[in-house]
Amino acid sequence: MTDYICHDFKTPRNDTSKRLPNSFKLVPLAFYLSLIGGAYFMTMDWLAYKRAQQDKITAEAVTKEHEKVTKEMMDEKAALDSETAKAENVAKWVEGARNLQPIIVSIARAMPAEVRLSDMTIERSEQVPSNLSLALRINGGSATEVGLIESSISRLNYRSYSPQQSKNGDIIEYRSTLVRQEQ
Amino acid sequence: MLLDEIKSVLSFAAFKPEADDASVSWSRRFEGRKTLLLNVGRNQTSWRGISKKGRFDDGGVMEGEFADIAPQRADEWRLLADGGWCVVSVNNRFIVSLENNMMRGENCVNLLRTNPRAVLGPKFDRGKRYAICHHPESSASMLLACEESMVKVTEDVLKTIGIRPGRVCCGLFALTEYAIHQLYVAQRGAVPANMILISACEGSIAVLVQQDGQWKELRCRSGLGPDAVETSLQIISPLVQKVPQGSPVYFVSDGQDAKFRSELFMHLERIGASDMTQEDLLWNIIGNH
Repeated sequence: MTDYICHDFKTPRNDTSKRLPNSFKLVPLAFYLSLIGGAYFMTMDWLAYKRAQQDKITAEAVTKEHEKVTKEMMDEKAALDSETAKAENVAKWVEGARNLQPIIVSIARAMPAEVRLSDMTIERSEQVPSNLSLALRINGGSATEVGLIESSISRLNYRSYSPQQSKNGDIIEYRSTLVRQEQ
Repeated sequence: MLLDEIKSVLSFAAFKPEADDASVSWSRRFEGRKTLLLNVGRNQTSWRGISKKGRFDDGGVMEGEFADIAPQRADEWRLLADGGWCVVSVNNRFIVSLENNMMRGENCVNLLRTNPRAVLGPKFDRGKRYAICHHPESSASMLLACEESMVKVTEDVLKTIGIRPGRVCCGLFALTEYAIHQLYVAQRGAVPANMILISACEGSIAVLVQQDGQWKELRCRSGLGPDAVETSLQIISPLVQKVPQGSPVYFVSDGQDAKFRSELFMHLERIGASDMTQEDLLWNIIGNH
């Protein structure tokens, strides 16, 4: 006699079914949990999808902005490149327009009185106008005079590039390319 | 059919006890559902509803034969019960006797309902329905035998008006059984070796005598009627003399016979009877336990 349950003598029914054991409650519980879980994940996915769509729109706007800025920068760079090219041309022209007279005077002054310059030409290079092609002939001179010429040229910030000299009797032929040295 | 079964599993209804599963208390069987309680006397029927929250609703009383009352009150009763389920307490045409060495066991109560011959043996009578209440500490038992024809008629009357009886019980036996449970189980060890338990319900009376811790005598009369105080006292008096003077006398009673109860208790008070009756006790026993 534990918990009191009132007696009963009604006519028993034959169509009663046995109740399911309590452990079977896991079946509907699992069903409802899967429903809740499914709803949760679907909601989260839907929210993530909406967020991704928003992010995509934002990213597209940023990309367009970046493309616009890039295009502006490219245009600006193209304009600057054009200006640079023009400036380089001007610089070349300025380099090419450097006076030759100081070189001639310096070479002439470097020669001793007993030596004579019979022939001297200075030509600008067509490709690089700042480079000068020097050719001269020294009568009664020697290698000393050539050294004097080179040192006088170097004082004017020109470097003798690929110098060639040849002696034919008393005549020394000297050829060199003078390259302007930037300070 | 399959859809219904799936629905019952998903709504957990398949795990709840059957509406007429006698091994489960009424309140557990009908949790969250309205039910109807009927107390059928010889010339009177009272009823009460239990709300979805398990509280007692308003009820009613009507004089007359149950078979005449039921069709008149059918609509009202159907409204009080979800699915038409009700408890019926019958209060006449029964006898409670004292038996010894009856079969006990967990399945005994259920077996008494389905195959009473297996429990009662030669004491079984084909035209009776039985219920049993064992003394928890001795081999004595109280055996209720109720007229089967009356139970069947009551059930048939209810079926014709769309009410389904989930439990049919005897009010007097329920009160006695409940009082014994209270004395022997709820207040374990507090039961004196000598005592008398008097139960009364709707004009029926039962007197149980315990001497030296053993149930010695039980007298029961059903259908006495509310005016039979003198007859009741004639049943009680010789039994009171069998126990030593000063032995406790317990009285439990409920039903619509308030006058009978108060007059009877007035006499019992003189021998020091204590009243175990509580408000709505019968409704509480048949509608909650």
